Amino acid sequence: MNSLQDVWRIRFVYYVNELQKYLKYVFTGHLAFVFVFVIGAGGYQYSEWLKTAPSDFPATWLMAGILGILLAYSPSTTLIREPDQVYLLPLESSLMGYMKRALNWTFWSQIFIVILPFIISIPLLSQVGNVEPEILGAVFVSMFLLKYWNVKVEFTFRWANVGQGVWGDRAIRAIISILFLVAVFAMVPIYFALLLVPIIFYYSVWAKQLKGQPFPYEHFVKLEQNRMLRFYRFANYFTDVPHISGSIKRRAWLDWIYRITPYGRTSSQEFLVLRTFIRTDDTFYLWLRLTGIATIGAIFIGIPVVVMIFVGAMAFASALQLKQALSSSNEFRMDMLFPIGEKARGLAVNKVVRIVQVVQAVIVLFAILLTGSGDVLLYVAPVVALVISEMTLRMSN
Amino acid sequence: MNVLEVNAVTGGYTRKPVIHELSFSIAPGELVGLIGLNGAGKSTTIKHIIGLMNPKNGDIRLNNVTFEENMDKYRSAFSYIPETPVLYDELTLKEHLELTAMAYGLDQETLAARSEVLLKEFRMEKRLNWFPSHFSKGMRQKVMIMCAFLVNPSLYIIDEPFVGLDPLGIQSLLDQMNEKKKTGASVLMSTHILSTAERYCDRILLLHNGRIRAQGTMNDLRTAFNMPHATLDDLYIAMTKEQEDE
Repeated sequence: MNSLQDVWRIRFVYYVNELQKYLKYVFTGHLAFVFVFVIGAGGYQYSEWLKTAPSDFPATWLMAGILGILLAYSPSTTLIREPDQVYLLPLESSLMGYMKRALNWTFWSQIFIVILPFIISIPLLSQVGNVEPEILGAVFVSMFLLKYWNVKVEFTFRWANVGQGVWGDRAIRAIISILFLVAVFAMVPIYFALLLVPIIFYYSVWAKQLKGQPFPYEHFVKLEQNRMLRFYRFANYFTDVPHISGSIKRRAWLDWIYRITPYGRTSSQEFLVLRTFIRTDDTFYLWLRLTGIATIGAIFIGIPVVVMIFVGAMAFASALQLKQALSSSNEFRMDMLFPIGEKARGLAVNKVVRIVQVVQAVIVLFAILLTGSGDVLLYVAPVVALVISEMTLRMSN
Repeated sequence: MNVLEVNAVTGGYTRKPVIHELSFSIAPGELVGLIGLNGAGKSTTIKHIIGLMNPKNGDIRLNNVTFEENMDKYRSAFSYIPETPVLYDELTLKEHLELTAMAYGLDQETLAARSEVLLKEFRMEKRLNWFPSHFSKGMRQKVMIMCAFLVNPSLYIIDEPFVGLDPLGIQSLLDQMNEKKKTGASVLMSTHILSTAERYCDRILLLHNGRIRAQGTMNDLRTAFNMPHATLDDLYIAMTKEQEDE
């Protein structure tokens, strides 16, 4: 490693690989399936609404507000790591070269958070807000400029204040960004000129304070660690992330359920697996989420065949993922030494998953009953869920 | 009849063996110390005995059965206390004891009677409903020790028992081991704390580079090394020096 530029390059490659490794599971998981449904349904509703939207709907103000707030959220991605505060200390004077690359990456990796909503809002802006194409172009360009400014200021602010009060800083930048976008929508040049004053002034206030201020390694290390932790937590919903152990909660209000496992040698794995399922956030919320989605689908979709497919897909996803989460582990556990036969764990996992899948089907049935629908076919959906759960348990290993 | 018989066992993680032709036995009521440098093969030896690894050559008999012959009988014969406590984050202390009792076929009365004694001995009565995340390293170690002693097996396999325990905890563990010895149970203990090993072990196995360099009582070892008044520390250092000279 000759320079900090090389340090950045190596870290960046590692970081991207790490993201790719887990994102592929995210996009093949059950959430992808839900996204497709949500995007489809949402898109349809949106286009229907556009046809009937009132002409006095404040489209430009709304979009300026949303985009301004999104622009202000610009946490720096520095890829700084804990040992850096020791090893990079002598190189602090050349740190800016490294940070320039880091801020470039921060800019490009976050710009889509603003561009995407903007693209979605184009039909709204042009049909309801009557915004001219040239102005849309001007907004598009201003978003890049504003994002660059926001990234730069947030980084400078964090450095100058060791991260203290960043939400206040974000609020100020959000207001400035919103006003600027409103000025672009309205195309009043004098407003730009006036707004340039706070834009330049606000940045230079913090930039001046950097002089003689040591780089706050601890703050940026923490920022990086929290970001990666959030990502791993998220990825952990879809696959097993090795260095993430799901958090545990007692959920004492469910203690009565444990009475279903009698005291005895043959039920020792069941004793363990049932508690693991209920008290581990990962497995418990996975089931709760999928059951919730299945229930909402059963209530709102309305077309019996689609409900069956939807509820069946959720049952498949939850049976399979719970089975995998509860049985797979390469780490040493004490029950691997228990004198209770090799198959005990697998049988207990199947039994517990079977029980919670029955509960899922019952909840879906109640949801359908609540809609008061007279369509008999709808009531087949919970049965489909049960059959699919059972098949999933039997056919997966 | 010996509780444990290790006959010419060779084994390791990859094709290159870590332990070579290991042979030793443990008689009922014996406390045997397994002593060696980091990487000498202590943990690998233990992993073979508890059935987490299969020997490439040789066999291991516990109460006269091998792992393949009767897995449940083999596993019922020992309890294991690992060097780093392995607990279930989702189970309370009480549930750890319950689970262990269930898996080893103890009835509820025996569980209640034995756990009362153990909880008192290790001063953990007030923590029955705690989760492991609230335990210190030493308390976690105590949970493992209590689970192991709850079972009352023929052989206790204890890996580095004294690291992380406070002096009272160490004393309680030694007391428990002595008590179990009197009833005929055996202990295989790996450790680096040589003074304690010297004081409490009936016999010592000196492991070096995956082979048993010497074994026997302290007097046997002194004779073998020709150092009549040596402590275990002296013998240990002599052994490593001898190896360097080779």
